[in-house]
Amino acid sequence: MTFSGFLNKVFFREIAKGLKLTLKHTLHREVTVPYPHEKLTLPDTHRGALCLLKYENGEERCVGCDLCEAACPSHCIKVVSAEDQTDGILRRYATDFDIDITKCVFCGFCVEACPVNALGMTKMYEYSTPDKKTLLFDKPKLYEIGEKNYGEAKNYLVAHNQEDHDEASRAYEYRFPSNYTPEPEPAPEEEKAK
Amino acid sequence: MDLAIRIGIVLAEIAAVLGVVLTHVAYLTYMERKILSDMQDRLGPMEVGPHGLLQPLADGLKLFFKEDIIPTGANKIIFSAAPILVLIPALIGFAVVPFGRDSLVIGEFEITPYITDINVGILYILAFSSLGAYGVLLGGWASNSKYSLLGGLRSAAQVISYELPLGLSLVGPILLSGSLSMVTMTEAQGGGFWHWYVITQPIAFVIYMICAIAETNRLPFDLPEAESELVAGFFTEYSGMRFSFFFLAEYANMILVSCIAVVAFLGGWQAPFSFMEFVPPIVWFLAKVYFLLFFYIWLRATVPRLRFDQLMAFGWKVMLPLSLVNVLLTSIVKYFLNQM
Repeated sequence: MTFSGFLNKVFFREIAKGLKLTLKHTLHREVTVPYPHEKLTLPDTHRGALCLLKYENGEERCVGCDLCEAACPSHCIKVVSAEDQTDGILRRYATDFDIDITKCVFCGFCVEACPVNALGMTKMYEYSTPDKKTLLFDKPKLYEIGEKNYGEAKNYLVAHNQEDHDEASRAYEYRFPSNYTPEPEPAPEEEKAK
Repeated sequence: MDLAIRIGIVLAEIAAVLGVVLTHVAYLTYMERKILSDMQDRLGPMEVGPHGLLQPLADGLKLFFKEDIIPTGANKIIFSAAPILVLIPALIGFAVVPFGRDSLVIGEFEITPYITDINVGILYILAFSSLGAYGVLLGGWASNSKYSLLGGLRSAAQVISYELPLGLSLVGPILLSGSLSMVTMTEAQGGGFWHWYVITQPIAFVIYMICAIAETNRLPFDLPEAESELVAGFFTEYSGMRFSFFFLAEYANMILVSCIAVVAFLGGWQAPFSFMEFVPPIVWFLAKVYFLLFFYIWLRATVPRLRFDQLMAFGWKVMLPLSLVNVLLTSIVKYFLNQM
């Protein structure tokens, strides 16, 4: 051991160095965000709770195509769709749209897969609850989230280049063709045989 | 009648000292958390009360209402006795600590700034602080858990190796002041900071500080309760009030060893310069104690934990010979000074 090394040991040079560093850090500004009182600003690309969106005229965007269900890697989406022809135009819509948010991995594939941009992701991330059943988002709940966080969901779609801002995005609005009538379903073969 | 009033005064003094010490213990935890968080660029407790000032109360209430669990395999009597055996020695030492200079005289009765001034004050504190180690050891053994047992064994080994240099380092001030009484020792250091024993006994002071940290199981010597290896060491199995007793004892011990360090090395309630004597002596005493406590916490925020063999080697191969040499030199110098 050299003499200076010995002196360093006797006078605790290394510990003194450390003490100086920690003392210097008392003057640093704290980096903690006191969370419930103050929140971080999230980027528009933030993947929060999923929601369903409506067009500006209040029509549901979703056409019940099941593509989101197919894209979902964690199988948390379940869509039941039906057809409806009350005003002459044949429409397809989802009678049930359930997302089990406890299973959701927030990958955003369903939003990417949606051909009519009916799904969006919001910045909502605080939905802890003592009742797990409320975490199974059904159709009304998803529309409720969508209405409440319309701006955020829209910003998400824009940030991911899926949609433009308001004016331009109206061009994408999907309308069911009015001249389309479905072929009458062929009668079941058993009845023909009779 | 006279005797009754005297006993009443003593009881009131004990209650006052205990109250003050326990309040300090509670707020020492707050101080520790705040200083640690400050040094780590965090905020620390902020929720209960303004800036988290009521946090110690909330913690105390929480611990008070927690379930008291005694593990099935534990030795019930020893398990319940251990926390008390740790807490009492930690608190009893404050009986001989002189907090100030002036006694309050009401009529013929005198209220002293210390509970009692026994002529073997320092020995008394050392004796009781070694008793605390029994509580730790017994608590670790009675829990019937391997973590607790290992924590207790480590504590026993650590206390034995560090008690010797701790006691020997205090021999320096004892030799210089010629007294074992804490009050006389403080009075011997009057008249400016150059009379403090930290100036004449720097090696003893450093040894004392290191051993005091080891005795109170604080970082970097907190091997008996090393969180990352032994869960919580000797009090792994404790919960509720019994746990809080260990906790209180640890912090009370911190304050006690700081008080001894202040009395033995930093001049107790003496002001550093004679022209600064207009400040009440108790303020000087508290300021010095707070500085040492801050130093403890500061050290905790800085240094990592030692390995066990390093700890033992340091205790036996460095601290003990050094303190022996210190005692030898001090007594030789003192002898020749007396001859002159």
